[in-house]
Amino acid sequence: MKVVLQDLVKKYPASDSIAVNHVDLTIADSELIVFLGPSGCGKTTTMRMIAGLETPDGGKIFIGERDVTYVAPKDRRVAMVFQNFSMYPSMTVYENIAFPLQALKRSKAEIDQLVREAAELVGVSALLKRGVRQVSGGEAQRVSLARAMVRRPEVFLMDEPLSSLDAKLRVQMRTEIKRLHQETRSTMVFVTHDQEEAMTLGDRIVVMSQGKVQQVGTPHEVFFDPYNLFVATFVGTPGMNLFDGVIQQSGDTLCVDLQGYMQPIPERFRATLNAKTPTPVKWGIRPEGIRFVDATDPNSLAGQIEIIESLGSRQLVFVRSGDKLFSVIVDSLHPVRQGENCHLHFDETRIHLFEAQNGRSLTQRG
Amino acid sequence: MQPSLGQRLIAYTIFFILGVLVLVPLAAGVITAFKPRIIWVSSPPTWIFSPTLENFEFVLIQRNNLLHLRNSLIIASGSVTIALILGVPAAYALARFRFRGSKGLLQWLISLRMIPPIVVALPFYILFQTFDLRNTHIGMMMAYLTFLIPLVIWMMRGYFAEIPSAMEECAMVEGYSRLGALRKVVLPVVLPGIIATALLNFMFAWNEYFLALILGGRDTSTLPAAAATYVGRAQVEWGNLFAINLIIMTPVIILTLILRRQLVKGLSLGAVD
Amino acid sequence: MALPIKTQPPSATRQSQFRIWFYHWSQKNIHWFFIAPALIAILVVAIYPIVYSTGLSFFRVSFDSRERPFVLFENFIWILNDKDYWGALGNTLLYVAVTVSGSFVVGFGLALLLRRISVGRNWIRLVLILPLTIAPIVVGLTWNWMFDPLFGLVNWFFIGIGVQPQTWLAQTGTARIVVMLVDIWQWYPLVFLIMDAGLSSLPKAPYESARLEGASDWMIFTRITLPLLRAVILVALLLRTVDAFRTFDLVRVMTDGGPAQTTETLSLYLYRTAFNFNKLSRAGAGATIMLIVISIISNFMFRFLYREQEGR
Repeated sequence: MKVVLQDLVKKYPASDSIAVNHVDLTIADSELIVFLGPSGCGKTTTMRMIAGLETPDGGKIFIGERDVTYVAPKDRRVAMVFQNFSMYPSMTVYENIAFPLQALKRSKAEIDQLVREAAELVGVSALLKRGVRQVSGGEAQRVSLARAMVRRPEVFLMDEPLSSLDAKLRVQMRTEIKRLHQETRSTMVFVTHDQEEAMTLGDRIVVMSQGKVQQVGTPHEVFFDPYNLFVATFVGTPGMNLFDGVIQQSGDTLCVDLQGYMQPIPERFRATLNAKTPTPVKWGIRPEGIRFVDATDPNSLAGQIEIIESLGSRQLVFVRSGDKLFSVIVDSLHPVRQGENCHLHFDETRIHLFEAQNGRSLTQRG
Repeated sequence: MQPSLGQRLIAYTIFFILGVLVLVPLAAGVITAFKPRIIWVSSPPTWIFSPTLENFEFVLIQRNNLLHLRNSLIIASGSVTIALILGVPAAYALARFRFRGSKGLLQWLISLRMIPPIVVALPFYILFQTFDLRNTHIGMMMAYLTFLIPLVIWMMRGYFAEIPSAMEECAMVEGYSRLGALRKVVLPVVLPGIIATALLNFMFAWNEYFLALILGGRDTSTLPAAAATYVGRAQVEWGNLFAINLIIMTPVIILTLILRRQLVKGLSLGAVD
Repeated sequence: MALPIKTQPPSATRQSQFRIWFYHWSQKNIHWFFIAPALIAILVVAIYPIVYSTGLSFFRVSFDSRERPFVLFENFIWILNDKDYWGALGNTLLYVAVTVSGSFVVGFGLALLLRRISVGRNWIRLVLILPLTIAPIVVGLTWNWMFDPLFGLVNWFFIGIGVQPQTWLAQTGTARIVVMLVDIWQWYPLVFLIMDAGLSSLPKAPYESARLEGASDWMIFTRITLPLLRAVILVALLLRTVDAFRTFDLVRVMTDGGPAQTTETLSLYLYRTAFNFNKLSRAGAGATIMLIVISIISNFMFRFLYREQEGR
């Protein structure tokens, strides 16, 4: 079922400061969309408005063609999995999963069948008679998934469901949720502050900050083509290298001046740079976009290796060049040594430019 | 770090002495309640005798304390029930919802617990006459609500604050109204807290003396008020007095024994939070 | 971003406008549905009496007269000129100081001591809180009997160690002390309960690291336990202070203010003024003053407490 958020506004109670600031978004049918952002960015509040747990102060919410803005949560045909709550402590696993069906006043036999199906799907069939004290945290979270699915909701809402689990279990459950989505093909909204979770799960990612949507796009788009400085810095670890710079005309090409070394800027930026140079910008490149090259390479910047951190198969190298410190990711087999001189080559296609004033990306978009 | 043997020995000795100080007066009183009239005030006290129930019979039937017992039961359980019905929802709202002035309201409600009873007793005394509530159980219950409602709110708020709000929100998304969610998922979890709150409130209402003394009429006088009439006479009827005392003590002690775990938890939550 | 949103369907009448408004309103004010019943009850059983009692203190009211002339501050002036009032106030302050600190030291001490042992903790706890569950009136009567000069167990104990029997509750020197000791006997369990719960909620980490750094027991207590427990201690002291300030039951049955009014507390004095001397409005004035004093004390402690909790 399609979900449409139209100009959604929510103020914090008792303070009037704005939690969700004019959010417009269309979530396609059977899409898995991830709301990503730091805590307090409004992602959870937006989700709670879709669930009906918060009433918006402005705007509308549609599920399918139905305007649900003023519909009580119980009548929205959505399901929600919560961050800090998984099982009703006064009920067994079976009773937990049956609980949403009892609200629908289904027959005992029908409930029994649906409960067993849902339990099967998330793999808790063996635990049906257990109480909350006899299941692990991961199992309890599976029960809450089963409880969410058993009603065949039109939309699944998940509010950081994995954040209370340990790292290994988190990865396992992530795969599980992806599988559930593929099997049920229902619309899912997933809230997280963990970008790795967002990248692996989402068909599309909604990056939010300070109550506003910063960018909506596929994981690939968000990573490789951030709309603004916030997205560029929030997504990706280690973060993008970002520096103040001035764009200059050098012969036919555009360049940014790095202590005398003129780094060429791709042509695709020319149209948005208003042709008037020099232009102050923020320019950036991800650590993966930098390579070590021989000193003979004319397109390179000289520097000195300061720190080396191993990331397992790859290594993170910090290189100082003048007043700038670059982080570079290279293969672990690449020989580097602390204190060594080196030369950096910047992959032109990986260069990002942002307006110095408002942080907007200078990449031209159709 | 394990305390040394000496430390533990000292600790147990202190607890033993305290236990004696607590239990001896109570036990001596209980024993006296079963003493026949002639040895009530024997000096030195007699401890070997054949126990008798005549004191209980005398105070309950001759002295009409059955009526006071009945009054105590009606007023204490009635006022506690009303206080719970009114206070539990308020405690829930104060634990759950942040709104303008919620904190101040909570503080104000709790501070009502600190009103000196004389401040309430005097106007109630006059108002009872105005509204013809003298000698009615309803009037007594109203007076007791003055301190019971704030106590219920104080204790229950602690219990509700411990339950994640996601619990009832989850039930609300799963097809229940807020009241339905409260009844089906929150109530079972918070029940021990309600029991502890009910017990503690019952204890205070049951043991209450000041309001009972001033406001209690012929048909509404409670057991503590009746017990107090035994002092100040030339000859105190100790056996009879301790029979009443035992009747006052027993229900609360039995309830405390049964519900001691909930009670300790409830009291500490109300206080610590 | 293009939004495939239909405009309001034609059925959006005034009625549905009202429904939207009502939904909004009820969601925003849902807390009042829960609070209102208690609030209304409080207004009737607490606020109305308080206002009435305050108002009363500006009139002359007694049981034998229907006339209630307005006298402004006459009652306040009368009560502030009554040396019995100041005597009762002095007694009450002494009473508060002794019983609050006494019950606090005993209760907190026992709670700390309970941490040192492991066998029989639940039973000890149960015995220790017993006095709290017993009606103050029963406690007072029981100890009256214990201190009886003829057959009281206390005297028999003292005779056993060679001390002459005393009329404990009839002598100005001892009556005060005895009443305050009994008050401590009754109320230390409250402090014990609160501090016991506070101690068991303490985190373990600071203690472990302090032990590793070789801190002494006394240092651990003053530098870690006390600071962590400050809010809990404040709650215990607040409850005890307010209760001690309005003590009535125990004193009433043990000494009824005597001998020579050395144990007369404010509550007792006001009761006597209203019901024995038939000066309702004077008692009302006294009660008003007491209310103000208690509000100031509790407000002060509350502020302290909230600052404490916010600091955590």
